[in-house]
Amino acid sequence: MHMSVRPWARGVLAGPLSFICSWLLMAGAALYLPGGAAGVDNLVFPILLFPLVWSCLFLYALLDERLARAYLVIFALCGLHALLLVRHLSVTP
Amino acid sequence: MIKLSQQRTREVLDIHGWSGILLGLLLYAVICTGTVAVFSDEISDWSSPLAGEAVDSFPPGFNSVFQRLYQDVDPRWREDIDAFVAHGGRIYLRFEGELEQPEAEDGHHEHYGVEYQIDGNTLDVLKRTEGLSEELAAAREAGALAEFFVDLHVRLHLPNPWGLFLTGVLGLGMMVAALTGFVVHRHLIREAFTIRRNKEALLRARDAHVIAGTWSLPFAFVLAFTGSFFSFASSVGLPAMAMVVFAGDQERAVAEVFNRHEAYDASPAPLANIDTLFADAAERGGAEAIFVSMQFAGRKDAVARVFTRAEAGHLSARAFDYAGASGEFIGENPVLVGKAPSAGNAVASLMTPLHFGHFAGWVSKAVWFGLGFAAAYVTLTGMLLWTLRRREQPAWQRMSRLVHWMGYGLPLAMAMTAHAFFWARASALGVELVQWAMFWTTAVVAAVLVASGGTDRARRWMIRLCGLSLLLLPLSRWLCGGMPWPSALAHGQMIIVSLDVALLVAGVLCLRPMLSREVEPGVAAEAAA
Repeated sequence: MHMSVRPWARGVLAGPLSFICSWLLMAGAALYLPGGAAGVDNLVFPILLFPLVWSCLFLYALLDERLARAYLVIFALCGLHALLLVRHLSVTP
Repeated sequence: MIKLSQQRTREVLDIHGWSGILLGLLLYAVICTGTVAVFSDEISDWSSPLAGEAVDSFPPGFNSVFQRLYQDVDPRWREDIDAFVAHGGRIYLRFEGELEQPEAEDGHHEHYGVEYQIDGNTLDVLKRTEGLSEELAAAREAGALAEFFVDLHVRLHLPNPWGLFLTGVLGLGMMVAALTGFVVHRHLIREAFTIRRNKEALLRARDAHVIAGTWSLPFAFVLAFTGSFFSFASSVGLPAMAMVVFAGDQERAVAEVFNRHEAYDASPAPLANIDTLFADAAERGGAEAIFVSMQFAGRKDAVARVFTRAEAGHLSARAFDYAGASGEFIGENPVLVGKAPSAGNAVASLMTPLHFGHFAGWVSKAVWFGLGFAAAYVTLTGMLLWTLRRREQPAWQRMSRLVHWMGYGLPLAMAMTAHAFFWARASALGVELVQWAMFWTTAVVAAVLVASGGTDRARRWMIRLCGLSLLLLPLSRWLCGGMPWPSALAHGQMIIVSLDVALLVAGVLCLRPMLSREVEPGVAAEAAA
């Protein structure tokens, strides 16, 4: 089985890295999504959409012709949500 | 059709194959057991029916038993009360409280209590169990067979949260395979109808894999998505939300999300007549009450939440809150999350019917079973094709043996587990232990067959043994004191006859190639020839 590094780099981005990004998106989205009529939509939708978000990121990482751009987009999403979470947790008593 | 360059198609095909082969063995186990678990309620009713009419809701007069047992129980275990109908007409009535553990550092307390099993026809107490929550659950031997398959499906019998996390990852793996399958099979519509009968065996096997995969693609995606949601919601999602929104307090997160009522008056008060609550809930919900959960019982602020079945023509069950002391109707509660109807609850409520397929009775369950069977077939044939293309390499030959062992050994082990259930109960042995022993003994026998006789011969033997085991299951059930057909028909317990017939048909189908002396070589043997 001879495979170049590129498919593996794409596979790592689509699999584990997108998984981590989806987790950060899920946790971070609870802070900016509206609570809705019962005040729980901001908790429910991120959990509900976690597998779907991951599969969208997975498909994107797979299909973007430019691998570097795909890495950039996913790292940017990770960074943005990680910052949101750190900021929130540092000000919450 | 999605246009990709040749190089990209090859990369995506690699990811499709590798995701399938790396997670495929465990994914196949999850799909197989999930397919059977579609009928878990029916399996329990079939394997452990009580004498008399089929009971599927709380019978009138339950209140007197409820009140009497409530008085008998140590007040420490009356903090939470649950009652539900399951397993061939049994009513389970559970009283639970927190065990005092001064040394518990994290504030977490074990739940301890008493559970009664009550005959739904006679309202006699069949069994009383006292212990920790896990001990109470383990004492429900009537549902042990279905529970064995469900637990294998939900968490591969691994401890929480690791089992849930693993099956969640497997669900994501299934989505990978489904999505990449969609991308790599460029001519989906054409391939959904193409089988090259006059071409070589490998091409025919590949066509069969693609046809089954294409037709079950939307279903595979729905199952993988909802399955991942169920696995990750409690193992990953809720802890994440608790950390972010509730400063790490998971109990507060659960109370908020599932609308647990606040305590406000601890002064003593009698319990309302629970039969009246069930009747009112049935009228409001348009279907019978099947589950009740009570908080703060014996106090003025007691609350009872009564769940009804999904009304005909509706997808979800409904839940109604009552004052536990006066019986006064408080209001309808969203069946899943929040304190009021919301978009989140509406969407979350869809997950259960979509995953379990129980929204239209046995018809939708049969469709879900069939589609689950197709998904298992796609997973197995995908792994067989992948290993077959690499059969010249010793490592892939070993993998092929592993695929055969899991692919054909698992259904055999599941069928033998059902025999173990009946004989263990008849011999008053520990059902759970005997089921485990039989499951793994069969797995070892299957491994010996694969290792000693070649994959194709082992496959034929495992299918034959599985057929024989399925054919003999109704006999085992009857010999171990199960309800005979005339009695089942007389009492309207149609599930017993129906499942027996289904098992006999499945057994004959497995044995058909041997009985008709048909030559039905496997993919590997055909391709090798």
